[in-house]
Amino acid sequence: MTATERTMSPPHDRDTMSPTDEEANSGIRLPGEGSMWVFVLGDMIIFGAYFVIFMIERTSESAVFLQSQQHLNQTIGLINTLVMLTSSWFVARAVRACRAGDYQGATRLTVCGFLCGVVFILIKIYEWSVEIGHGYTLASNDFFMFYFMLTGVHLLHVVLGLIILGIVFRELRRPTLRRASMVESGATYWHMVDMLWIVIFALVYLLR
Amino acid sequence: MKALINARLTLVWLVLCAVTIVSWWLGGTAEHHGHFVFSTPVTIGVLAIGLFKCRLIMQNFMEVRTAPRWLRLFTDIWLVAFWGAVLAIYLY
Repeated sequence: MTATERTMSPPHDRDTMSPTDEEANSGIRLPGEGSMWVFVLGDMIIFGAYFVIFMIERTSESAVFLQSQQHLNQTIGLINTLVMLTSSWFVARAVRACRAGDYQGATRLTVCGFLCGVVFILIKIYEWSVEIGHGYTLASNDFFMFYFMLTGVHLLHVVLGLIILGIVFRELRRPTLRRASMVESGATYWHMVDMLWIVIFALVYLLR
Repeated sequence: MKALINARLTLVWLVLCAVTIVSWWLGGTAEHHGHFVFSTPVTIGVLAIGLFKCRLIMQNFMEVRTAPRWLRLFTDIWLVAFWGAVLAIYLY
């Protein structure tokens, strides 16, 4: 929906959640708000730069990075990836349920996605506490500096994502607040958080 | 139609989980007497799976598959440029 179409829409259109005729005919449409996409694509570029810097540092100290990687719990990394993927699956289904007018289902699925996000944070805190307990901190070496920084910045994104999912939940519960664009924007952000974790899992945990 | 869309999302989720387990297993194969060792084939496998997973998420969960052309192009260019840069730096 373009900005002009949005401002010209009558108020009751907020609740119907149907695409415009033009969009329906072509089947091509931008899910959510354009501003959310600007933020998401910008974040992907910034994180992309962080990961490239990580790779350059890894090349200059490859033996240290490989040795340090050994002290990460690979299985916890795997479990957290599965939790994040499951969370994204719930949220993607919530968007479809919302579009179909099944607001109860959409609310339930958003809550499931949210809870998976909370589980992700709890597992991450446990993982950090084990690493710190073994004496590995930000100051240990460059690998652990990157490990804590990348997973830390990602965790902040998870927290922000949970706040956004909380707003989506609030809107879904109140018919006067329901906006398809908000549900889609929240989902878009959450999937980006999922995708960034997938990159971290590959580069920080699994690269050999 | 709704059931079909949900079935597709579920299939994508299952594939994502399956290839995640494969990449975790791959990482575990680059070991010698309990120590991680360098392995270009394992790294290439892990990176290829990473790219595949990111694209599945973008195309299906983020609905880029049915998004305007500029977004489809941007995300595909990002995927190739990013994972390509990571591989190039690794091989350098």
